[in-house]
Amino acid sequence: MHATPAVHRMQILLIEDDRETATYLVNGLRQEGYAVQHCADGRDGLFAAIESAFDLLIIDRMLPHLDGLSIISLLRQKDIRSPVLVLSALGTVDERVAGLQAGGDDYLIKPFAFSELLARVQALLRRTPGEGRSGSVVRVADLELNLLSRRATRDGREIALTNREFQLLEFLMRRVGQVVTRTMLLESVWDLHFDPQTNLIDVHISRLRQAIDRDFDRPLLHTVRGAGYVIREPAAG
Amino acid sequence: MKPTAPALRSSAARLALWYLLILVLGVGALLTGVYWATERTLLVEADRVVEAERQALSENYDDGGTARLIMVLNRRSDDWGRLGAVYLLADAQGVRMAGNLAAWPEDVQRSGDWLEFELDARDNGVSTPHLVRARVFPIGDHQLLIGNDMSEQQRLVARLRAATLWGSGLTMALVALVGWWYSRRVAGRVQAVAHASEAIISGDLSQRLPRNGSGDEFDQLTMTVNHMLDRVEHQTTVLRTTFGSAAHDLRTPLQRIRARLDSLLPVDEPTASRTAPLHEAVSDLDRIQRTLSTLLQIANAESGVAHQLQPLDLVQLARELIELYAPVARARRITLEVDGDEAVEITGNRQLLAQLLVNLIENAIKYSPDDGGITVRVTRDRGGALLEVRDQGRGIPEALRNAALLPFRRLESEPQVPGSGLGLSLVAAVVRLHGGRLQLDDNAPGLIVRCEFPAGAP
Repeated sequence: MHATPAVHRMQILLIEDDRETATYLVNGLRQEGYAVQHCADGRDGLFAAIESAFDLLIIDRMLPHLDGLSIISLLRQKDIRSPVLVLSALGTVDERVAGLQAGGDDYLIKPFAFSELLARVQALLRRTPGEGRSGSVVRVADLELNLLSRRATRDGREIALTNREFQLLEFLMRRVGQVVTRTMLLESVWDLHFDPQTNLIDVHISRLRQAIDRDFDRPLLHTVRGAGYVIREPAAG
Repeated sequence: MKPTAPALRSSAARLALWYLLILVLGVGALLTGVYWATERTLLVEADRVVEAERQALSENYDDGGTARLIMVLNRRSDDWGRLGAVYLLADAQGVRMAGNLAAWPEDVQRSGDWLEFELDARDNGVSTPHLVRARVFPIGDHQLLIGNDMSEQQRLVARLRAATLWGSGLTMALVALVGWWYSRRVAGRVQAVAHASEAIISGDLSQRLPRNGSGDEFDQLTMTVNHMLDRVEHQTTVLRTTFGSAAHDLRTPLQRIRARLDSLLPVDEPTASRTAPLHEAVSDLDRIQRTLSTLLQIANAESGVAHQLQPLDLVQLARELIELYAPVARARRITLEVDGDEAVEITGNRQLLAQLLVNLIENAIKYSPDDGGITVRVTRDRGGALLEVRDQGRGIPEALRNAALLPFRRLESEPQVPGSGLGLSLVAAVVRLHGGRLQLDDNAPGLIVRCEFPAGAP
């Protein structure tokens, strides 16, 4: 269901004027199997985005000739709906809101780790077809979330979760097989768009892990070092 | 903050009221003086006439005795005599001998030498009481009463009194009306200025105070203030652009460093000692980035740029963040709890207020002893909100509390506690942005951070 078909490589357009950052991102994304086109200039980027259909656009906010937010607005006016990840050195909360209001789908503040960018790219690419999956039950292996009764069971046994743990688990399970970063969790589950200094998320994840994995042989919730967390279907057998 | 002061607190209204009082006193004194002088003059005049008559009549008596006196009196009582004159000559027993009174008057009021009594007279066929003021003189064995019908004077005085009262009343009403209009006008202009100022305070630096072009002192003041605002706006713009470019110019190279470090980090041998310095460099980078972000956020909040504001429940927000930090606190057996009212709604920026709470909670946890207690208290306060975070740590000595709110000021006695020294500065900036007040206090032992948010802020 979630495996990327090998035939179609995802097409990504990167509009970024800093050469070194661009090279780094292009190389990293290609290594991950994406087809990447790069423009260093706002106007070129806009034309490229109009010319051919991309699965995802990564756009820096400050660009020569045409700034990132204008590009997004113009694309949205032309009814080009590809998801957009905004990169920016402007990190205040209101700048982020401005980025999302212009039509961006996600906002990443420089400097960021490549793993953070990758997780968001994957999330945005995954979102397009599967968005709005609205079943009342989310299931990964023998772990089951009933969204109506707010009950979680594993192997038929009830698991006691707080509201927030339930939300956290739902967020992870809806992205099964996909790495989710700490920042993404803070943003989506707690609606906090800044990094608290304490490593809070790790604590919450370990509590969640206690709840869902402790009494079972095959763990579902995994830590991806240097990146984040993932819920995976255990390998068959 | 809102300029809806009660009418009497307006200085223009107070001025008008004083003006009204002084004017009414002045006009009242003037009219009363005129009234009183007129009344006296009329009285003195009437008395003088009576005195003159007495002299004339007593001369007649001296010349021709009682008969002559009666004759003169009869003649004077005829139509062509003095208007309103009243005479009565009576013998020692009070029996009428001559004059135009039918009998010795009854119901007499004495005022000094003078008698006052009422007389029924016919005016156009209607009998009306007339006031008579008279004096009695002994003349020979007889009593002579000479008086004046005062009704004419009385009417005049009554008219004068009415004019005085109406005059004072009308003056009062007119002055009150003008005063009311004037103070409304002044209050209106002050209110317009206050509204514009509020918009400016809450971050819209492009706002200017409204001018009406009349060139009066208000207009001149407005112009001067607007000039000042031009300068402030210019400086703020310069500051913001500087910060914006600084952020960009610092973050881009940071991004490159990060990229280089990332490319050096091997994916599959995460804990090799060879790569440990690289991991440390990455966490240093993270710390630099956080400090930079916080600095920019402080600058942004302080610059008064308009932020997205929305109504939010401060208690709810506090509960969410307490819950977020609960596991961290529990690990050190610190009790972390929310206290206060059920729901306290204010208008604010959710992210900034969350950051404020996070900073305060993190500080409290950082300085709390193990097994300590931290309370976040949110209460309604004069329409606004009062947020208190109390810990049982070391607190801050009173002399250092103001300095603790400045960026990069850390207590020198505790260099071992990690942190940038920006936490409380950001808290202060966020409180200020919301039009509130921040206060540090002693929890004996520990620190109380108290944030007051005004009603309808900012």
